[in-house]
Amino acid sequence: MIEHDVVIVGAGLAGMRCALEVCKELDVGVLTKVYPSRSHSGAAQGGIAASLGNSEPDSWEEHMYDTVKGGDFLNDQDAVEEYVKAAPRVIYELEHMGCVFSRTPEGKIAQRAFGGHSKPRACFSADRTGHAILHALHEQLMKNSKSVKIYNEWYMHSLVIDGDRCNGVVVSNIQTGEVEVIRAKAVVFATGGYGRVFKITSNAFAGTADGVMAAFEVGIPIEDPEFVQFHPSGLYRQGILFSEAARGEGGYLLNGKGERFMEAYAPSRMELAPRDIVARAEQSEMDAGRGVNGEDCIHLDLRHLGEARIMERLPQIRQLGIDFIGVDCITDPLPIQPTAHYSMGGIPVDKGCHVQLDSEGTRMNGFFAAGECACVSVHGGNRLGTNSLLDAVVFGERAGKSVLEYARGKDFGNVNEGQEKARVLKKFEDIFQRDGSESYNDIRNEMKEVMMTKCGVFRDEERLKACIETLKDLKVRFQKGKVTDKGKLFNTEIYEIIELGNMLGMASLIATAALRRQESRGGHFRTDFPKRDDDKFLHHSMVYGTPDGLEIKTKPVVITKYQPEERKY
Amino acid sequence: MATFRIKRFNPEKQPEPYFEEFQLDIPHGATLLDCMNEIKWKLDGSLSYRMSCRSAICGSCAVKANGHALLACQRQGEHLLQDDDTITLEPLGNMKPVKDLVVDFTPFWDKVNKIKPYLEPKEEPPEKERQQSPEQFRLIDDSSTCIMCGACYSDCNTLEVDDNFLGPAALAKAQRFVSDSRDSKTMQRVQDLSEPGGIWDCTHCAECVERCPKPARPFDRIKEIMTVALEKGVHNNNGARHALSFTNSVKRSGLLNENRIAPESVGIFNIPGLLGLIPIGLRMLLKGKIPPIFHKSIEEVDDVKRIFKELNQ
Amino acid sequence: MKFALFTGCVAKGATRELMLSTTKAAEGLGFEFVEMKAASCCGAGVVSEKSPLLADALNARSFSIAEKQNLDIVTICSTCQGTLKKTEAYLNESKEYKEKVNDILEEGGHQYNGKTKIKHFANILATEEGMARLKARIKKPLTGLKVAAFYGCYVLRPSERSDYENPDNPTEMEDIFAALGATPVYYPSRVKCCGFPIVMMNKDASLGMSGNALQDAIDNGADVIATGCPLCHLSLDSYQPEIELLQKKNQSIPILHLPQLVALALGYTPTQLGMDTHIVSTLKINQILSGSSASAH
Repeated sequence: MIEHDVVIVGAGLAGMRCALEVCKELDVGVLTKVYPSRSHSGAAQGGIAASLGNSEPDSWEEHMYDTVKGGDFLNDQDAVEEYVKAAPRVIYELEHMGCVFSRTPEGKIAQRAFGGHSKPRACFSADRTGHAILHALHEQLMKNSKSVKIYNEWYMHSLVIDGDRCNGVVVSNIQTGEVEVIRAKAVVFATGGYGRVFKITSNAFAGTADGVMAAFEVGIPIEDPEFVQFHPSGLYRQGILFSEAARGEGGYLLNGKGERFMEAYAPSRMELAPRDIVARAEQSEMDAGRGVNGEDCIHLDLRHLGEARIMERLPQIRQLGIDFIGVDCITDPLPIQPTAHYSMGGIPVDKGCHVQLDSEGTRMNGFFAAGECACVSVHGGNRLGTNSLLDAVVFGERAGKSVLEYARGKDFGNVNEGQEKARVLKKFEDIFQRDGSESYNDIRNEMKEVMMTKCGVFRDEERLKACIETLKDLKVRFQKGKVTDKGKLFNTEIYEIIELGNMLGMASLIATAALRRQESRGGHFRTDFPKRDDDKFLHHSMVYGTPDGLEIKTKPVVITKYQPEERKY
Repeated sequence: MATFRIKRFNPEKQPEPYFEEFQLDIPHGATLLDCMNEIKWKLDGSLSYRMSCRSAICGSCAVKANGHALLACQRQGEHLLQDDDTITLEPLGNMKPVKDLVVDFTPFWDKVNKIKPYLEPKEEPPEKERQQSPEQFRLIDDSSTCIMCGACYSDCNTLEVDDNFLGPAALAKAQRFVSDSRDSKTMQRVQDLSEPGGIWDCTHCAECVERCPKPARPFDRIKEIMTVALEKGVHNNNGARHALSFTNSVKRSGLLNENRIAPESVGIFNIPGLLGLIPIGLRMLLKGKIPPIFHKSIEEVDDVKRIFKELNQ
Repeated sequence: MKFALFTGCVAKGATRELMLSTTKAAEGLGFEFVEMKAASCCGAGVVSEKSPLLADALNARSFSIAEKQNLDIVTICSTCQGTLKKTEAYLNESKEYKEKVNDILEEGGHQYNGKTKIKHFANILATEEGMARLKARIKKPLTGLKVAAFYGCYVLRPSERSDYENPDNPTEMEDIFAALGATPVYYPSRVKCCGFPIVMMNKDASLGMSGNALQDAIDNGADVIATGCPLCHLSLDSYQPEIELLQKKNQSIPILHLPQLVALALGYTPTQLGMDTHIVSTLKINQILSGSSASAH
C-alpha cells in the first residue's frame, strides 16, 4: 500500500497550487491521469481576473459585484468576497514564482477587458494564460520534487471511506494496469469539470466527471449540476475554444446577414456581455435561421483589429483557425457556435474547501475539493470569463491550508486494502465479462447528442424528460458494451469505458436538476420558464443518490452585500 | 478510402512491433486525431495512444506521421495523405515504446528537471509584481509557449546518436530562465548548459524547429543561450572556442580560416585534443585538401572590419 | 543565365575541387557565374552565435554587392544557402531591423533593398529552364550509376525558408540525377544531419550521424552519394576512414559534390573535377560509368 500524508487527485491549477501549500509541511502525492503539463487548465486562454487596477482604477467591490451579477445572484457572497479580495495577492504570488505575464509599457502586469467585467481586469500572458500559470506551478513542483511525488498517468477509481472519514483513494497505474490503494490522512479532489457529456464542448477528453462521480458514489450530494456554461465561441463542429479575449480585444459577432446581432440582446455591453447571454443570443439567431449560410454557426470577425494587434495579442487563436479549419482571422471571419465549457456546479464545499455531506454543512472529514470539480459557490448560475483560473488558484491554496490544519499531527485511518482493491478489480472484471452486444462508441455519441439537443443552451420540460429517459436506456445498454482490449498495459479503452460510466451518471444529475429548476437563471435557461424566479428558486440544488433514484434538496444562497436585482447589460 | 499503416506494439502479446493497416474514409475536416479515434472507436479498441485537449495546447497526442513528429490534433487528416493514399503512424522517436503509439517520457522529463526549470529570483519579492518591460517579456515569450509534447525530442538528430544530449525541449526551457530578467542565476545556468550534453552538442539540424507545433522553436532558443554564454565569458569549451575562432577569422580576413579553427576549437593547450586532429589533418594533407597556408582576405575587407568595429565585436 | 556566385569559404579552402567543378559545370551548362570576391563568409550559423546582428549585417552587405550588379545570388553550399536565407528572412520580417542593418552598412556604401534572390545551385538546375538546359547538354549520361542524395539540413529546414517544394520529402536532387541518366536512390537519411557542426565538440556523436547516413545509403544500394554541401562532404568523405560502423564491415562509399556529378555528365573528366583529391577513392564511379558505356556500345 502506498502512503502519503496527503494525496491530491488532479494536477491542474487547483491541484498543483494546493500541493505547493501542503508540501511546505507534509508529504504529498499528486495523482494525474495525464501529466501535470497536459492538464486542461492549460487550455484557458484569455486571462485571470484581479482588481490590480494596472490600466484603470479598480476595486474588489466592483469585481465582487460583477461576479455576483454575472452569476445571476446565485453566488454565495461571503465566499465571493474572500475570493475577489485574495485575487491580487495570488496573482502577485504567481508572478513571483516566475509566471510569464504580458506587460504594460511601465512593466506592470497587463490587463484587458473581458465579458461581464466592468473594468479591464484580466491579467494575461498573450492568449495562453492558463498555459503560463500551469507551467509556472509545474516548475515549482519540480523545484519541490523532494516533498511532492507526482503519479503521472494514474487513474483514481474511488474514495476509501470509513464512516464520516476519508482515508485514501483506490487508483490504478494506466501504464501497467496495476491497482493500488493510496492511504492518506487527507484527500483533495481537483479533478476538473465534465463538459465531455455534451456533443459540442471545449473540454479535453479528460473532462469526464471522474472526481464528482467518485464523491457522489460515497454519498456526497452534488450541488447545482444544472448550471453548465456554454461558451459563445467554440470552433464550429469541433467545439474547441476561441478565447473570449478575441471579443475582449474588440472582435465582432455577426449573423448570417452580417449584422452585429448583440445589439438586440445586450445593447450596452454588446459582444462583451456575459457568456450565457451571448451564447443564448447566438443560439437564438441560429434557431431563427440567421446562422451563417443557414447553418448552426455564427461569425467571429477580427479583421478590423488588423494584423499587428492580432499577432501581438491573439497569435494562438490565429494559428488555431489556420490549423483546424484553414481560416486566417486576419483576412476572414471565424465560424463559431456555443460550446459546453464550464461546470458551475460540483462537489459542495465551504469556503475552506471542506467537502459537505449536506446543506447544513456537515463535513466529510479528510476530504477536500477545489477548482472546477468543486462548488463553493463563487460563480453562482454563470461564471465570468477569467474567474475560473482565479477560482483554481485561490481555492487550490485554501484547500492546501485547510488540509494542513486538518492533517497536521493526525494518524492514518483504517484501510482494508484487500477489500478496497477487490472492489476495483471486480469493476474491471465486470467490464471484461459483458456480453458485447452494444458499441460503447454509439452509447457515448448518443449521450452527447441528447445532452446537446435536449439539455443544452435551451431547455424545456418535454425535452428534459425525453433526455432523462434516453439516459436510462443508455445505462442499460452500457452494461452490454463490447470490449476489445483485455490487456493490462496502457489499455486506454478500459479507461474510456469507465469514464463513459461516470459521464452517464453525471448526465442524469444535470438533466434531473435542470428539470426540477423551473426558472431561467445564468447558464440554465428554460424556454417554458423564461424568467428568473427568486421566490421559488433562489437556492442551490443538492442532488442526492438514494436507493429510489435521485433526490433533490435545496441549500440557501448566502447573500451579504448585493441584493438580487434584474440582470441587464 | 485511405490506408492507415500503424505501428503496433504490445509486449504482453508479442515482443516485436509490426505494422497493421486500417482502411478509413477520412471525414471532411477531420484532424489526424479524429481519424485515430475513428479507428479506435470503430475498428480496433485496443489501439493505444495519448490524447487530451484536441486544441494543440496539452501536448499529449504527439506521434510520428509519415516519418516526422507532429501533434495529431493539429493536422488535417487529408493533408497528411501520401501519393499512395496512405498515412503511416509510428510512436515518437528517441524514446522507448510502451504500447502502440505510446512512448516512455521518463528520460524527457529527467532532462527537463536537469536544467533547473524554475525561476531563481534575484531578491525577496516586492509587495506587488516585479517589473518587467514588454521588451524583456518578449525575450521569454517564445520559449514559454513550449507545451512539452516531445515532438522536437523525437526527431532530434543528436539524440539519435547520443543519449547524453539534453535535447531541444529542455534547452528551450532553459532559455526561458537564462533570458528572464527576473532570474539571478544566468551565469550559473550558462556554465552548466555549456557542459557536454548541453548547448554546444546541438548539431544545427533544425529538426526541432520544423517539428515544434508552437513558436518555441528550440534551435533558435539554443542559439540565444549560446550568445548569452559567449557574452558572459563562458569560453572554456570547444563550442565557445569554435564560435570565437570562427568569428575572429571572419574579422581578420572576411573568410573562415579552416587551418586555425580546428586547433583553436579544441584549445591550443589541449594536447590530447590536438593529437586527435592529426589523423584527419594528415589525410587531408596527403590529398592536397589542406587549405592554402597563406590565408587570403576578401576584397574590401576593411569594410568588414569596420562593421565588426561598429558593433563592438 | 547570369548569377553572382557566393562561393563560401570551404570551396576556397578544404574543398577546392568544389570550386573547380562548379566552374566546369557552369561552363558546360552555359551559365555565367560572377564570383563575389568582396563578399564575406556567411557566418555558417556560427557568427550568429556570437552576435546575430553582426551575422546579419555581414550577409546584408553581401546581398548589396549582388544587388549592385543586378544579379541573383547562387550558392554552392547548403550551409551558406540556409544562413543567407535566414538573414534575408529576418531583414524582410521587420522594417525596423532592416533599417538598423542598413544604417550599419551605409558607411561602407552598401544598402540592402530586398531585390536579389538567393538560390542554391541545385535549385537553379531543378527549374524547368535548368532541366531543359541540362538535358540538352549532357554528353556522357551517368547510366548505371546509383546515386544517393544528401541534401544538407540548412537548405531544408526551417521549411518556410526552403526552396524545395516538399522539404520533408524533397525530390529535386533525385530529379537532377535522373536527368543526368543516373539512377536515384531514396533512403531515409538523405534529409538528415551529417554531424559536421559538432565534430569539434562531440566527435563520437558527429561520426555516429555521418556513419548512420553512409550505412543507410550503402544498405539501399547506392554507388555514390552526391551532396550540395561541402561541409557534409567533409563529414562524409574526409572523416569516413574514422567511422567505426563502416570500418567494421570494411565498407566505403565515394562522396561527390553535386557540381562534380553534373560536370561528369557534361563530359568533363574526373581529374578535371578534382575527384582525385577526395579522401575516399572515386575510382569505383569511373569503373561503373566506363562499364556501362562499354556495354552500351
